[in-house]
Amino acid sequence: MPQFSFAFPKPGTKKLLLGASLAGAIGIPVLLASLLVFVIPMIHKPVFDALIREKLGHDPASWAGAQWVYAIGLFLAGIVMFTFAAISGGIFSWYERRVAGRIQSRIGPNRVGVGGFFQWIADAVKLLFKEDLVPAEADSVLFRAAPYFVVAGMTLVFVALPAGQAIVVADLNVGIFYILAVTSLAVVGIILSGWSSNSKWALFGAMRAAAQIISYEVPAGLAILVPVLMAGTLSTQGLIQAQGGWPWEWFFFRNPAAAVAFVILFISQLAEGNRTPFDLAEAESELVAGYLSEYSGFRFALYFLVEWANLWIIGAVTTTLFLGGWQIPGVTAQDWAAVRGTGAFPAWGWWALQFVSLGVFSLKTLLQVNVIIWIRWTLPRIRVDQMMQLCWKYLVPAGFLCMLFTLLWQMVVAWAPLVERVTAVVVFAAFLYVTWRFLKQTRDNVSLIAHERVDLSNW
Amino acid sequence: MPLTASAYVGNIRDTVTSFWHGMSVTLSQVLRRPITIQYPDRMDLPVQDVLPARYRGFLEVDASICTGCQACERACPISCIQIELEKDPANPKQRVVTQFDIDEAKCMFCGLCVEPCPTGSIQHTREFEATQRSIRNLVFRWADPLAPFPVYKVAKGAPYFPRAPLGSLVLEVIARRRWDAPGMTYLPPVPLQPPPPPPVKPAPAAKPAAPKPAEGAATAPAMPAAPAPKPDEPTS
Amino acid sequence: MSKLVLRRLDRNNEEMLVNFGPQHPSTHGVLNFLVETDGEVMKRAIPDIGYLHRSLEKIGEMVGYPGYMPYTDRIDYLAAMFANEGYAMAVEKLIKVQVPPRALYLRAISCELNRIASHLVSIGTMATDIGAVTPLVYALREREIINDLLEALCGARLTYNYHRIGGVAYDMPEGWRDRVIKYLDRFDSSVQEWDRLITWNEIYKKRLGGVAVISREQAIDYGLSGPNLRGSGIDWDLRRDMPYGAYPDFKFEVPVGRGWAGAVGDCFDRYYVRVLEMEQSSRIVRQALEKMPEGEVQAKVSRKIKPEAGEAQSRIESARGEMAYYLVSDGTERAYRVRARTGSFLAMGIIEDISPGLMVADLVALIASLDVVAPETDR
Repeated sequence: MPQFSFAFPKPGTKKLLLGASLAGAIGIPVLLASLLVFVIPMIHKPVFDALIREKLGHDPASWAGAQWVYAIGLFLAGIVMFTFAAISGGIFSWYERRVAGRIQSRIGPNRVGVGGFFQWIADAVKLLFKEDLVPAEADSVLFRAAPYFVVAGMTLVFVALPAGQAIVVADLNVGIFYILAVTSLAVVGIILSGWSSNSKWALFGAMRAAAQIISYEVPAGLAILVPVLMAGTLSTQGLIQAQGGWPWEWFFFRNPAAAVAFVILFISQLAEGNRTPFDLAEAESELVAGYLSEYSGFRFALYFLVEWANLWIIGAVTTTLFLGGWQIPGVTAQDWAAVRGTGAFPAWGWWALQFVSLGVFSLKTLLQVNVIIWIRWTLPRIRVDQMMQLCWKYLVPAGFLCMLFTLLWQMVVAWAPLVERVTAVVVFAAFLYVTWRFLKQTRDNVSLIAHERVDLSNW
Repeated sequence: MPLTASAYVGNIRDTVTSFWHGMSVTLSQVLRRPITIQYPDRMDLPVQDVLPARYRGFLEVDASICTGCQACERACPISCIQIELEKDPANPKQRVVTQFDIDEAKCMFCGLCVEPCPTGSIQHTREFEATQRSIRNLVFRWADPLAPFPVYKVAKGAPYFPRAPLGSLVLEVIARRRWDAPGMTYLPPVPLQPPPPPPVKPAPAAKPAAPKPAEGAATAPAMPAAPAPKPDEPTS
Repeated sequence: MSKLVLRRLDRNNEEMLVNFGPQHPSTHGVLNFLVETDGEVMKRAIPDIGYLHRSLEKIGEMVGYPGYMPYTDRIDYLAAMFANEGYAMAVEKLIKVQVPPRALYLRAISCELNRIASHLVSIGTMATDIGAVTPLVYALREREIINDLLEALCGARLTYNYHRIGGVAYDMPEGWRDRVIKYLDRFDSSVQEWDRLITWNEIYKKRLGGVAVISREQAIDYGLSGPNLRGSGIDWDLRRDMPYGAYPDFKFEVPVGRGWAGAVGDCFDRYYVRVLEMEQSSRIVRQALEKMPEGEVQAKVSRKIKPEAGEAQSRIESARGEMAYYLVSDGTERAYRVRARTGSFLAMGIIEDISPGLMVADLVALIASLDVVAPETDR
């Protein structure tokens, strides 16, 4: 018997691992969801006051440091959101690796816990233990500061991003404009990291990334204008409330230009998040890691955390704008008010419905996350000049046309609302048909290869 | 370079159709079985049974039918086989093989030694799992100098030659040593002898001759000190 | 050499001299390029080779003629059968021995299967260099099955040492013919799927179309051969125009670049010529398996080969171009000179002159489309 230098695991560990992995895979999302649902709506002043008055029996107006209590509540909500961003980033990294493995006819990580679920924890711990290397010739202050700009650019978006009917940290009345502005903070971080690394390859990557992110802000802004025009408000919750639960009440189907604007926004956000086909900045086969080349350990982990947490942001922003957000099919604004009850502190039914709205939002967002991962592992990378061409020659003119069309469309709809209804139903039906054809083509692909069949085994 | 309108629209159309096909192909892969085989713990059969019969793994020598012809040593293009033959002290007509070393680290598994063997004593097996911490432990010794084996006398016209099951002998050799056994240590090299001093000339030339032996003696200890390698330690 | 380059750099103009390699994911082995660049557009890319030099030609003078066969595997380990065959043909010319027809057919089958495997690596790594990682895994999946087939045939997956002087080492094992036919059925449909996935992808066509065009005159001047030559529109294939072995018995087409995605002789043409060649190789293998003659697989050749003094050369169509062997014998058991001319070495030569004006991303595409591999370049 050849000698192996590892020992086969003892019997009984398998059950333990299965239990731990299930606990993690189910427990972590449930924990996060509960935190989101129970902590974040609380920090809004009416609910918070009602909680302290009715449930705890104190009167906040009589305290000297009441402002501090509100501030601490806000801080806690911020921490909950950041935890959500970080953990969802980690779980997406595991999920992406498993999906990528399956797409590439192989298994992804499957050893660290059942299904490899704890792989992201293992990777994070490993990166934490690595040597903290700052190149001798690098500008050490900027080198150390750069990742934090990128992380800030990602985290600040979560402030205005809704996740449920009352689950938003701050419902700014310039919500979507704020989101667009704050994502640009990442550019500062990327340029700083490329420059301060004092490495030619890193500089290459940083220059490419800067050009890319700044250029794609323009079509993104134009595409965002379409739902803003349709809803009449910049606030994220307002945008969602202007849509409905059923698919034909979403902006995507109500206006043909909105469908095009959705595509423009999707492409622009892929470009801003440095995802393939726009990952020139960290093009692995050319620049090895581009602006990240000199980073190691925890700082490296921060960049990748941002990349994966960005997946959620891309999905959430497009869901908010075009896909009806957290609106549950069949539940209108009156239903929400009825469930809330007349007291200042909402009734139990309202909290339960918050979970449902969080679920609907997450479902729509996760569907888009899947599409982004799928695109990444299918398409090749685009070249710098072609990327610029795409932006300025294709997306920007299309964005302007969409905006103009929406202006006219809104006038037509104001005059005859039936047009919008009919368009929505027709476009939805067409969308269902196209999806069905695509899935059929996918299934046929398997039979096109000789001796191949559908087989979901080998995890 | 200005694009015509039809080229512009054609670009968009080509993009959509090619992405449609590409994405459907990738999605359909998710429905198929991944080809990964998880070696070594999640396989149905031991890997040696999955390999084809002609697989060129480690070499194995069945000493009971080795004729000592050294054809394999001559055929090897990389000189990894070393064979020494001697006359048996007890029986001068019989030759014995006192050394039959194959350096598996040097071997390039080409199979050229297997072809000229008259009895099929040396064969490639299907074993390849013999990781050793020290590369010197990959020299497989098929003859013991203290107990050499006699060469086999080939029976003329024999249809085949009886051989141990393929792979069993090499597994014994691999199992003889732990995988992390320290490698062989070598004695330090014998220091170089200093050159003999030139013959001493008579008295008038005595002075220039005097520094020479001192020079020679001074350089002699310097030489072995510098290139003497340290004895091999097990690498950590 | 780098000092020479530095002196010519214009420091005021913020040009950079960047080392592209030798440790780099997309230089197809240990190759180094000294790239003078001003931003994204290059002034010049100078190839710097020799990192994988193993003195294989010198070794030919030390081991005997039969012993050199495993070393020829290592001249191009991705297409080792061709190297084996070329050397065997050259020695057979030296010692004037006739190879039995069954051995010639087996040589053709093993070589064409190896051509498919080599082209799969080439197009897979090309897709990866352009950014799509998934097609590489699909290509390697198909190649794994070829590796398994050749492993069943000769015992090794990469460095086969299958051909011998005077024929081949073994005959086909039981059931091998059916396995190959089954694989070819699967392979033909896989190539169609491959085309749908990546070849006609708009981004891929835009990345490769019109990039690094090599004109007909340039291709001939620089001595390109194989798919690189045919990609520039020149219809020349040694298997058809200077036939050797069993190739006169087979009917196959020779794909020639036609400017499918832009200009004739661009990166896409060289890439697509390889894809089409794989399909033709599959045809050849099917024909060979059908028409296989009976007989022995190796001619009678003595163990010690001692040819008369003289020289011999052989030219074959390898996966990466024309591979030629030139042997000089001085009457002893050891060759006086073994020279292997490989297609990749000459393909490296054209990179410096095509590179001015290309972007760094295009340099990657150019290297991948020329299918240069370090073992062939450096030997």
